[in-house]
Amino acid sequence: MSAVSVTERDRTGSGSHRPGISVSTDTAPAAVVAADVETAIRVDGLSKRFGKAGPVVLDNINLTIRPGEFVCLLGASGCGKSTLLNIIAGLEHPSEGTVTVASGKSAVMFQESALFPWLTASRNVELALKLRGVPHGRRRGEALELLDLVNLADAANKRPHELSGGMRQRVALARSLAQDRKVLLMDEPFAALDAITRDLLHEELERVWRETGRTIVFVTHNVREAARLGQRVLLMSSRPGRIRNEWRIVDDGPRRIESPEVSRLSIEITNHLREEIRRNAA
Amino acid sequence: MPPETSTDTIVPGSLEPDTTTGSTTGSRADFRTLEAGLDALQTSPLVEKGPWRRFADGVLPPVVLVLALIAAWQFYIVIARPRPDLTPGPLDVLTSITDLWSTGHLQTAVVTSLSRGGIGFLIAVAIGTPLGLLLAEWRLLRRALGPLLSGLQVLPSVAWVPAAILWFGLSDATVYFVVLMGAVPSIANGLVAGVDQIPPQLRRVGTVLGANRVEMATLVVLPAAMPGYLAGLKQGWAFSWRSLMAAEIIAVGGSIGFGLGSMLQQSRELADLPGVLATILVILFVGILVELVLFAPAERRLLRRRGLYLTAGR
Repeated sequence: MSAVSVTERDRTGSGSHRPGISVSTDTAPAAVVAADVETAIRVDGLSKRFGKAGPVVLDNINLTIRPGEFVCLLGASGCGKSTLLNIIAGLEHPSEGTVTVASGKSAVMFQESALFPWLTASRNVELALKLRGVPHGRRRGEALELLDLVNLADAANKRPHELSGGMRQRVALARSLAQDRKVLLMDEPFAALDAITRDLLHEELERVWRETGRTIVFVTHNVREAARLGQRVLLMSSRPGRIRNEWRIVDDGPRRIESPEVSRLSIEITNHLREEIRRNAA
Repeated sequence: MPPETSTDTIVPGSLEPDTTTGSTTGSRADFRTLEAGLDALQTSPLVEKGPWRRFADGVLPPVVLVLALIAAWQFYIVIARPRPDLTPGPLDVLTSITDLWSTGHLQTAVVTSLSRGGIGFLIAVAIGTPLGLLLAEWRLLRRALGPLLSGLQVLPSVAWVPAAILWFGLSDATVYFVVLMGAVPSIANGLVAGVDQIPPQLRRVGTVLGANRVEMATLVVLPAAMPGYLAGLKQGWAFSWRSLMAAEIIAVGGSIGFGLGSMLQQSRELADLPGVLATILVILFVGILVELVLFAPAERRLLRRRGLYLTAGR
């Protein structure tokens, strides 16, 4: 198997060269590049500020995501990556600009599993099916299939408090798959998990992504996680939130978080991230 | 194990790509057992208490305390020999209870009061629940009505008795009015508190899953608010029962039937202290019984299902 090849696109246009990374000479906005390509999510000139005089949280975000792409939004605290995700989800509204999700609404997964504590794992999934309009008779069976997809068929009748954090997130994943939407938005879904569990969930998520062909936008502050999972990693700067850099990773099958390619890319991204953070000093 | 991992130094990039890229965890079945193993490590089965343990923990301590109090009471009667008409002993009170039972007064009074309290409480639930939901979801109404409702909760409902008698005469309507004024604010406020405590994330999930307003209220907000709502119901029952007794003591006669409050008032008029004490004990006992039979199990079940019942499994 060949090594992961990476393309870096500098969104600021300043350009940079690093060994092992082939830098694309094309510094035009992605929206223009992909104008004639099929798009799943399109963000145009999006800005967000809270209140009239509040600070600018997101500044002129332009982004095009193709169907079936796995995109990681990476940034330090306060870069507005969660806000961007919430706007794409339709939970918040942009101050300027537009967001178009071609398939309509999207499924969302949060950092806390946010399962309904009064329902069993299966009922939580069934509720999503019910709200999607699946007839009563088919819900139980479909819920069990979805739980089996995340290897939790045996825990169908357990309540959230009886499950571990990782299991809860898998139920939440099954629930978001129950929505049957082409786009899955994930807001730091594994941030609160221990490293072993997170590693397994990366594999689980990757497999689900390959099997279902969902378009995934994955928000994280974990560089390795982004390098491990994404086909594209977008690095955001903080205050105001802007997309500074973009890495395209040629996907040739599953990667592991321990692999040297992921490490190399992580170092590369981390250096850029630190540079962005340094800007905020004094 | 590739040999590289056991050598002294690892040079970055010196590893063969095929050992580190790609899925090396093996087949899907391998992954499943791996995940199942981790799940087993991270969850521990809940230990349920046995029936004897539950009895020893829950029932025994209060019963022992009550018996000790009665023994102390009897001890005082025997040692200090106070005037029997001012300080009756436990045996006098017991005799009084059996007397009231044999005449049938006790049964009538308990049935009358319980059915009134129960019906009044149910009406209060029917009014308080939609009112609470409206208050919780409609900010303007809450700003306007919220303080008033809290005020009503503080106002002793017995204060309504004279007004109610003037409005409705000595009828059941008077009793129900007083009960409602006592219970509705508690139930509504309990529900509002329950709704306020819902983690905002749960509502967002409801939105994301595509719930409309009605679905959000019935499938997300109401179930999520259940612990607070149940606390409100419990308090609502307490207020119903108290208000009922107050109304029955003050409003005697007319078409108002013979309840426990009426019995209490009658015993007072006859200067029958054992009868008064006996009735107080019965009122207390009925209150405790309703709590133990209806509310405590419902609450325990609700909290256990949500993993909030801390004494379980510890």
